[in-house]
Parts: sequence; structure tokens; C-alpha cells
Amino acid sequence: MRYALLVAMPGGPGDASTAADERLRRIESMTDAALAHVDVEALLAELLDRVRELLGVDTATVLLLDASSQELVVTVALGLESAVRQGIRIPMGKGFAGRVATEQQPVIIEQVDQANVLYSVLAEHGICSLLGVPLLSSDTVIGVVHVGTLVPRRFSDDDVRLLQIAAERIVLATQSRRTAVERAAAAMFQRSLLPARLPVVPGLELAAHYVPAGRDGVGGDWYDVFTLASGWLCIVIGDVVGRGLVAADVMGRLRNALRCYALLGGDPAEVLGRLDQQVQHFEPETMATVLLAMFEPSFARLHLSSAGHPPPLLALPDQPTVLLDVPCDYPVGVSGGLRRRATAITLPPGGLICFYTDGVVDNRGVSLDVGLERLRKLVETGPVDALCRKVVAQLVDAELPGDDAAILAVRRQDSGDMGPLDLVLPALPWSLRDIRLAVRRWLSAVGASPRAVADLLVAIGEACSNAIEHAYGPGGGSVTLHLELQSPDVLATIHDTGRWRVPYREDGGRGTLFMRDCCDDLRIDHGPTGTNVVIRRRLRAAATA
Amino acid sequence: MTTAGVDSSADDGAMCIRLSGEIDLANAATVEDQIRAALSSQPSAVSVDLTDLTYLDSAGMRVLYALASRLHALRIVLELIVPFDSPTRRLIELSGFESIATVRPVRS
Repeated sequence: MRYALLVAMPGGPGDASTAADERLRRIESMTDAALAHVDVEALLAELLDRVRELLGVDTATVLLLDASSQELVVTVALGLESAVRQGIRIPMGKGFAGRVATEQQPVIIEQVDQANVLYSVLAEHGICSLLGVPLLSSDTVIGVVHVGTLVPRRFSDDDVRLLQIAAERIVLATQSRRTAVERAAAAMFQRSLLPARLPVVPGLELAAHYVPAGRDGVGGDWYDVFTLASGWLCIVIGDVVGRGLVAADVMGRLRNALRCYALLGGDPAEVLGRLDQQVQHFEPETMATVLLAMFEPSFARLHLSSAGHPPPLLALPDQPTVLLDVPCDYPVGVSGGLRRRATAITLPPGGLICFYTDGVVDNRGVSLDVGLERLRKLVETGPVDALCRKVVAQLVDAELPGDDAAILAVRRQDSGDMGPLDLVLPALPWSLRDIRLAVRRWLSAVGASPRAVADLLVAIGEACSNAIEHAYGPGGGSVTLHLELQSPDVLATIHDTGRWRVPYREDGGRGTLFMRDCCDDLRIDHGPTGTNVVIRRRLRAAATA
Repeated sequence: MTTAGVDSSADDGAMCIRLSGEIDLANAATVEDQIRAALSSQPSAVSVDLTDLTYLDSAGMRVLYALASRLHALRIVLELIVPFDSPTRRLIELSGFESIATVRPVRS
């Protein structure tokens, strides 16, 4: 046994070994079942209390190392409670505790003075003699435990041995408890970063499943779905290299940064380029694969860019599922890459796209190609939630997953899924854009031709503009839109409850003229309770009016 | 809120105004102001490019008509660039704009 000596040699090795063994047993007994359910600090306090009693000392203190600042933080202190309240932090190598941690061996001070303790707390409390031992976990210092007396004391080898055994117990207790706490915190943190509920987007069906890794806790997989003010819809799936709280934390920052960059506009390659710059500048240690898909407001086309992420699958009705041909650029956080690329693909009504992380296809003992092929065979267009559950059950749940896994499926509704569209919006000019957005999506899902879409946008837009401009006075009101399919026609009804001004100039108004020209049939009814406009237009052929 | 872009460039006395985004009741007045500001110099000819404009309604047409009559009074030539497959092509045709200005699918 080696330990540093500051003032005097302690007494010779154990003459009272039987008594010492007995004391040891009492220490060892204290970390078992009875203490299994208390939190780390309560457990440490209990341990220290017994140490204090067994060694006959006045103070007992545990300091744990804060790895990021390389400081020892007073965590539990019996007899020196104010040290905890003051949040005292001792730099490595400084003062008594810092020295114990740096030298990684027991240190004894028989007479405390200004020169050998850093903070006056010990002196203030009248501590006279000190014994400290490092808390070692596989040869790494994680903290220090020290005991002190108010009267001069010569600590013996037995005292040192006893404190070292207590230190081992303290390490065990804090380590296992810390790991469990960190794992739980990371899992909770990650769950909080994944959307609790995906947004409801008329025209699309969305579902996602996340399965955390079985053994090693949390990974850095994430997915995100959000819309932009321009009506575009963004779907993100990514995987931060790393595990635990650190990976979950980085994932949270990447998620938010990506949202901000998407808001700035540009295609997915530009957005990922900005994210890459951000990561290389602010998070140089980070690497992540990310796939960003941006759906046009009609949902008929999407633009994709991949930063090292496996390509999504495309499933169309009555066709074999294929891996999308998305050029795979370098992951985010890798410097010196070339210009990122974006690809556009068409998504017909009824089509489904499946995004995933490598935890879905990269199971142990199976090559990536086999994993991809298994997934490809499982993915078909249909209810998205059932698909996600099926994939997870068959590809991920089979054994404890070694990696975490995320899957997200999006299906574009077809005319069979599309019920009528009903909108009620304030009769204000800014509602027009939202009306067009909803109408575009609905018409695109029911398979209207581009010409019919353009015509109906004008006809419905003019009818709504009229309601907005003429129906209500300063008090305001709302405009109601109902769209339904009456094959082969689309029927649009625009209704307001205003009577303020003469609403339509049937002859001269250019707007009314456009309405007439852009549909097959137009009916305008002014009544005492408001105005009702019914527009009928063929879904595919040119307007005949 | 509806958003539109108004970008102008001048080339040897001829001015080109490129409109993008959407124009409706909500932003027609703003777009009109922006076009007026862009035309502060004295061009000999003005071309308004609607290639990147994805929506236009009667409020937007009113702006184009106002522009056309002002330029007509100043004896400044106006042309409209509207590709055949452009979403605004139909409205331009329906409005009879071709009777007061040249409408071309691409820039001359």
C-alpha cells in the first residue's frame, strides 16, 4: 500500500486486524438491497455516515469530478454541509482534494494549514487532520472521498484501507446509478425531441415508429415533419454518430438548425449544405447522416437530398417497390466535400415513400444488401401505420436491437381516399393564399389536370375575393368553401353571410368574367342571408364555357 | 400572406421586370408600388416577364392594366412574356391583354 505523507508517518500496519475485518464487513453490508432504491446522493450520505461512525471522524466528504470543467464538485459533505450549499468546486491538482485526485493515491494531512488546503472551509470548520483517497473507476479518477477530524489524528494503514474499501463502494454505487440515470434521461430527452404526434396534413397519411437500442441505451436517430409558410412540407430522417445523452443532445441541435435553414428557403441540397457548414463550424466533433425530402405544395413532386443516408423506398400501386435513386453525398460534418445534389421525383396519388435509419436494415449477422432487400419486400403501399408496425415487428423486434431504429412512411392519398374539402376562413385578403394551397392539394389528389387546377384556382379565387371585398363591412366575417367530387366534375361552393354591399357586378366585373370563363357552369345566388356561388368544372377536359 | 417577387434590370434603355410568386388581392397594391418604384428611370421599352409567376387573379390583372395604360400615355412600348405552359397564360388570354400590348412566350 502506497500513500503520500505530508506531516508524519501513520502508525504501523494493523495490530487490530480482527476488529478491522469486522468493521469492513459492516461497510460492505451497507451497499446492498436496503439501499437499492434511494437516489445517489441519499446513498452517498448513508455511506458517509457509516464511514464517519466507523472511523470515528467528524467530517466525511465526497467530491465528484465534472469531466467537462475538470473540477471536483462537493456532492455530499457530512459535518461540512455548507460546502455543498456553496457549490464548492476544486480544480484538479489544487488544494487537498485536487491533490488526491491528481496523485491517484491516499493523502494524509496531520495538521491543516493555509499551505495545504485551498479553501478556508476546512480551516473555518476547525478541521485539524485529513485523510483522502481517490474514487477510481477502471483506473480513471471520478472523484475523491475524504474524512477529517477536529482534533489532531494520526490515521493508520487500517483507516486508509477502510476508506479505500468505502471508496470502491461509492464508485460502484455512483457509477451504476449514474449510468441508469443517464440512460433514462437520454431516452426521455430523445423522445422529447421526436415529434410526439406527426402533423395532420390533408392529402397525406403519415406514420413513424422509433425503437431505441436494446442494450447500449440511446442513439442519435431522429425524424421530423414540418410545413413551411410557402406550403412546402419537409420530412427529415437522420442519424447522429454516437450514443447516449451526448448524441441525443447533438441530435436536438441538428434538428432545430435544420428547421431554421429550411425556413430560409432553397432546395434540400442547399439546406443540407447550410447544416453542414453549421456543424463543421460549431460542432467539429459531430458527424451525421441526414436525408431531407421537400414536398411541393401539391405533394405531387418531392425534392430529395441525401447526406450519406440510405435511400428511401418508393411503393406504387400494383408495382414492385424500388429504392429511390437519390445520389448519396457525404455525411454532414465531413469537410472538403463536393457540391451537394438534389433529385426530384414524382409521387402519384396512392404512392408511398418509406424513410428509415440503418437500424432497420443493418441487423447483426446480415449484410446491408440482404437487410435492404428484406425491407423492400415488406414495403408496399397501403395504411402507413400498419406498415411501420409490420416492418418494426419483422425486422427490428426479433432480437434486442443493437442500434436504434426509426422508420417513417408517407402515403399520398388518392381520389378514393379524398372526401370533400371544407374550409372556413376569415374574409380577409391573407386567407386567399391558404385557400389556394388547400385547393391545389385537394385537386392534385383527386387527379385534376393542370389546366383544370389553374382554372379552378382562378374561379374559386375570384369568388372568394369577391366575398372578402364586398360581403362584409368593417365588422368582418368569414368565407366558407366546400369542394367535392361529382365524377367527372368538381363542384365548388363558396358561401358568405354578408349583405353589406352589392356583391357582384354581373356585367362589368373582370373577376366575374374570369370565373365564367374558367368553369363549365357558374351559379351565383344573392339572398337576404348572404351569397352562394356554385362552380362546376370537368376534372380533366378543357372548360366548355 | 401572398408573396411575390419584383426584380428589375435595365439593358440599353429597355427595362425588364420579372415577376415571381403569386399575386392576388392581398398583395396587388404592394406589387403595384414595387413596379412603380422599379420604373423610376425613363425606359424606352418595358418588358414584364411572368414566367415565374404561379398565380394571378383579377386584382393582379388590374395592376397590369394600370401599368399598360400609363406606359401607353407615355408612348413607352410594353411587352408581356408569358410562356405557353405558364399558369398565368390562360388569364392573360381571357383578359384580352393582347389588344393593348405584345404578348410573347419568350423574350425577343
